[in-house]
Amino acid sequence: MIEARHRRFSFVRVLAIATNTFTELTRLKVFHVLLIFALLLIGSSVFMARFSFQQEFQILKDVALGAMSIFTSLLAVVATARLIPQDIEDRTIYTILAKPVARFEYLIGKLAGVLLLLAIGTLAMGAMFLIVLYACEQTVLHETARQTMSPEQLNDALRAVRASALNADIVPCIALIYIKACLLGALTLFVSTFATTSVFTTVVMVFIYFIGHLQATAREYWLQQSGAGWITRTFLALVALIFPDLQAFNLVDGIIAGAAIPLAFFVKTAALGIFYGAIYTLLAGVVFYGKEL
Amino acid sequence: MSEPAVAVTELTKVFPVPWRRQEIVAVQNLNLRVEPGEVYGLLGPNGSGKSTTLKIILGLVSTTRGQTEIFGRNSRLVESREAVGFLPESPYFYKYLTGAETLRFFGKLCGLSRASLKKRVDEVLELVGLADARDRRLSGYSKGMLQRIGLAQALIDEPKLIVLDEPTAGVDPAGSREIRDLIVDLKRRGITVLLSSHLLAQVQEVCDRVGILAGGVLVREGKLEELIAIENQTELVLQNASDNLLHEIETLAVESHAKLIAHRRSTTTLERLFLEATTKHHSKE
Ligand SMILES: Nc1ncnc2c1ncn2[C@@H]1O[C@H](COP(=O)(O)OP(=O)(O)O)[C@@H](O)[C@H]1O
Ligand SMILES: [Mg+2]
Repeated sequence: MIEARHRRFSFVRVLAIATNTFTELTRLKVFHVLLIFALLLIGSSVFMARFSFQQEFQILKDVALGAMSIFTSLLAVVATARLIPQDIEDRTIYTILAKPVARFEYLIGKLAGVLLLLAIGTLAMGAMFLIVLYACEQTVLHETARQTMSPEQLNDALRAVRASALNADIVPCIALIYIKACLLGALTLFVSTFATTSVFTTVVMVFIYFIGHLQATAREYWLQQSGAGWITRTFLALVALIFPDLQAFNLVDGIIAGAAIPLAFFVKTAALGIFYGAIYTLLAGVVFYGKEL
Repeated sequence: MSEPAVAVTELTKVFPVPWRRQEIVAVQNLNLRVEPGEVYGLLGPNGSGKSTTLKIILGLVSTTRGQTEIFGRNSRLVESREAVGFLPESPYFYKYLTGAETLRFFGKLCGLSRASLKKRVDEVLELVGLADARDRRLSGYSKGMLQRIGLAQALIDEPKLIVLDEPTAGVDPAGSREIRDLIVDLKRRGITVLLSSHLLAQVQEVCDRVGILAGGVLVREGKLEELIAIENQTELVLQNASDNLLHEIETLAVESHAKLIAHRRSTTTLERLFLEATTKHHSKE
């Protein structure tokens, strides 16, 4: 008998799979195309029409954060959907799982690779956004300074510009965009454990994406219309369980309106996203454990 | 203590066919033991259940009935794979990695420490003859080289058992020769080898014992020489024998009631001819 030196969970193994997955993903053309396209879109929001500086910053944030949200989500789905089918098709999964690697370690490693990719993507887009926003703020500040008014008025005006441009609320906004993308990545991984093709996974995810965004509105409407019978309530609860309320992660509207984001609200939303993501990862682990390769 | 390297007991595997009321019985009531240190060949035509059996032994596919063990540990346990290397059928690796990177990746999965990793990668690359190609990406590897990096990957953790699914399929004669030499080398080091193949001639020279699968059933099993020996016949190979001598032998044979069945010129195998011709051609260049 060989002495047992096996560890149930090894960080080294997960890290090896994660870095390898990350390398694999950064070589995908889709990643480069999506990232470049998103950066261009964010950059070009400078040239949007403007009437007043408040409106200018509003449009800029609306476009840039909206673009970030869509592109990170798209990236999460597209990058994750192919991972497992590709490994099965190439039979690389046999060589990996024939090593003393637990199936759950393999899954976690794959997901960690995606999360790393999403982090890089979000950081790149976020940096682009901040640069654009900063440039616009400077321009508006210069223009305001050239106007003739009293020193007090000028000070107030400058402060107003600063307040509506770069402010601390952008950070939780971007953080939630990232968390939403991670959640979608975990959900895609789950779907791909029982899907037979990556096309199926992608289609299902597009479907989930739209339901996830629309359900909050639909729920309000339904509850108003038909009162709140228990059947309706149970049904809505079930839908909410299966399809995450993706709209909850969109703080864009909130910060554009200039309202500060309460810390408690941010923490609650972030925790919800992480909770959903963890549940999907666990479910993926359960399905993958029994999967015939 | 003679614990078998691989023990398969009463194994049956049934694949359901989706949307249809029928099933595929890939393996039926299979019993198999591979002793430590031997080279065991699982033979059979395509679709006879060889790959399925090997995957079940490695815990990649579940059993319908029965169980499999590696060195006494159930295949379903992750730790049963600690002392095993596996080369799947026509393997394919991450093609953006170089040979050395690939081996480092698999070494990490085996839990090799940083120091032993570097040493093992060099050793194994040397062993399979890919030291020169270590920094080339796998996208530029030939089929034979991929097979050899696959073998290297299986050997990275100094396993006690190595499982090879069709190791010589699709590789040219020279490459297949090298792989068979490697298997003999592994056996000399005391590593147990379980391999599957449908290329019988190639298996013949490396296997100690073979089992023949047909339709998921083990139809024959035994020591190779016993299986293929023809009990009451003997071969005699002579060099520079004169016609006279041959004639005398024939008469002697008839006198002692033996029967001469065949009388022919010795031939070389086509493989040996091929190898001789191609290596000469190589050395001329
Ligand atoms: N995942 C699977 N699903 C359904 N049938 C399968 C699966 N894998 C193998 N089979 C079937 O099992 C039988 C044995 O296949 P396999 O073990 O690959 O044979 P071999 O390796 O000897 O060529 C074949 O009939 C094959 O079609
Ligand atoms: Mg096969």
